[in-house]
Amino acid sequence: MLLKLTFNSLYARLLTVGMTVFAISLSLMLYMSVEKLRTSAYTSFTDTISQTDLIVGARTSSVQLLLYSVFRIGNATNNITWESYEDVINKKEVAWSVPISLGDSHKGFRVMGTNSEFFKRYKYRGEQSIELEQGKNLDDLYDVIIGAGVAEKLNYSVGTPLIVSHGLQSFSDHDDQPFKVSGILAKTGTPVDNTVIVSLEAIEAIHVDWSTGAKIPGQITPVEEIRQMDLSPKNITAALIGVNSKLQIFQLQRWINEYPEESLSSILPGVALQELWRIVGVVENLLLGISVTVIFTTLIGMTAIIFSSLNERRREMAIWRAMGASPKVVIGLLMLEAFIISVMSIIVSTVMLFLTLYVLQPWIDNTYGILVNIEMLAVKDIYIFMLFIIAASLVSLIPAIRAYWFSINDGMTIKI
Amino acid sequence: MTFTISAEETRQVDKHEHGVGELNIAVEGSTIEFEFMIPGADIVGFEYVAKSDEDIAKINQALKTFDDYTNIFTIPSNSLCELNGQKVALKEDDEHDEHDDHDEHAEENHNEFYAKYSFECGNINAIKEVNFPYFATFTNSGELEVQFISNMGSTSFEVEGDEPSINTDGKI
Repeated sequence: MLLKLTFNSLYARLLTVGMTVFAISLSLMLYMSVEKLRTSAYTSFTDTISQTDLIVGARTSSVQLLLYSVFRIGNATNNITWESYEDVINKKEVAWSVPISLGDSHKGFRVMGTNSEFFKRYKYRGEQSIELEQGKNLDDLYDVIIGAGVAEKLNYSVGTPLIVSHGLQSFSDHDDQPFKVSGILAKTGTPVDNTVIVSLEAIEAIHVDWSTGAKIPGQITPVEEIRQMDLSPKNITAALIGVNSKLQIFQLQRWINEYPEESLSSILPGVALQELWRIVGVVENLLLGISVTVIFTTLIGMTAIIFSSLNERRREMAIWRAMGASPKVVIGLLMLEAFIISVMSIIVSTVMLFLTLYVLQPWIDNTYGILVNIEMLAVKDIYIFMLFIIAASLVSLIPAIRAYWFSINDGMTIKI
Repeated sequence: MTFTISAEETRQVDKHEHGVGELNIAVEGSTIEFEFMIPGADIVGFEYVAKSDEDIAKINQALKTFDDYTNIFTIPSNSLCELNGQKVALKEDDEHDEHDDHDEHAEENHNEFYAKYSFECGNINAIKEVNFPYFATFTNSGELEVQFISNMGSTSFEVEGDEPSINTDGKI
């Protein structure tokens, strides 16, 4: 009876109530999408590299080493010599290693020199390996394998010729030694998608006529001659390392960090990811803070709307009283109203959220490499909803108490 | 004939931050290892080489405290872990120039407590958290920077006295 009465009363004010529900739904949706993006970003981020125990590079901070070796953001301060790399991988603790050489680019995409171990050892999202979607491995010196993002944005296919540029933003190209796309990798959602992969030998080859970062004027060694040269790498930028037993990892880490011949750093990727996330986490909390504020604002807005409608509804309440409703029932009616509005908002916001996620998911994945999982609401969300309903009902007590006084004072005759 | 001898040497010093102890935790199979490296200041309040009887007593007392790992950390008893190896030591890092015996330089020394404990566990997955009485045991202690690795991957924690535990649920 009471419920039907409230529903009818709300229905009679469809427009205002509708607007209120819409406003609250939007703010709840904002909160939920921030939460969703936050957790998805964290998972995507920490899933970028797995199974690698240590990353070794020149002496630098752990975050920087992680950024340039895995995320291809920023630059290495120094490279490490091949001799040091060999000293490290000859340690008995080391099970496998992948050398990485960075520093050149192709149309804004980083070029990474590595060997076949990379395709075998680099894992993401737990056990996932990178796979060739089209074409074949690096067989020829001038073969490149490109990530899915590179292929898509530059519209490249197997066989497309390309020129590697020297450095990251430079006008000097290695145009005397053109490359050819031999394979395209399947999409991974990691920075590998935006990487152009060549062999370590190719990196050496394109720098044959270069000395200390500049081209030696007038010197062009013919490609055929380069192919005959010893192109074994002299230095690399970083190395991914797997150990035989996790128990030996810290010992190896210490050994590398104290390696006397060259200043090296070794980091545990998960530790560095955590460290980086703690920096990013400030922004994350800020976003969360903003959406919580928005929810509060909407709650206050809802109260204001109920308040302002009170005057108009004094007649309605007088009729309720005439029908035999006690002042307490009037309070109940108004709280029930707030309850219904908040429940409706939750339903609308959830529907809107899933629709939006469904529509935006491919775009977010493509643009930001964040895979948003469209899954059922978590227990935490249910808690938040319950908290919201309780808060809404409590806040509605303020206008309800006022209405209670109105109805006691007015009785059945309204003195306006 | 002349020879030029170039003396190549590499100088590097390990990092050392008062108030920040390091802890490495590694899990492999049913084995879990804890390795602590803690600045002397956090344990005994000083870092010079102990010469007075009082200071030597303090160091010995601290080393004895480390001998019983439950003074430092505790792991859930249902994980059925048994201690099967431990090493406790004081690393005195005496950076004196050999010709310089002045005592005022003693203050530049950094002492570090090193402790390593190895456990064999019947049910290692039951280690869902590790608690650190360490902060209550040593009142000078600051924070612990934890590096953690298992087959699930690596992660890190920062532990402080107001919340002296880490949550390893799902990480082993």
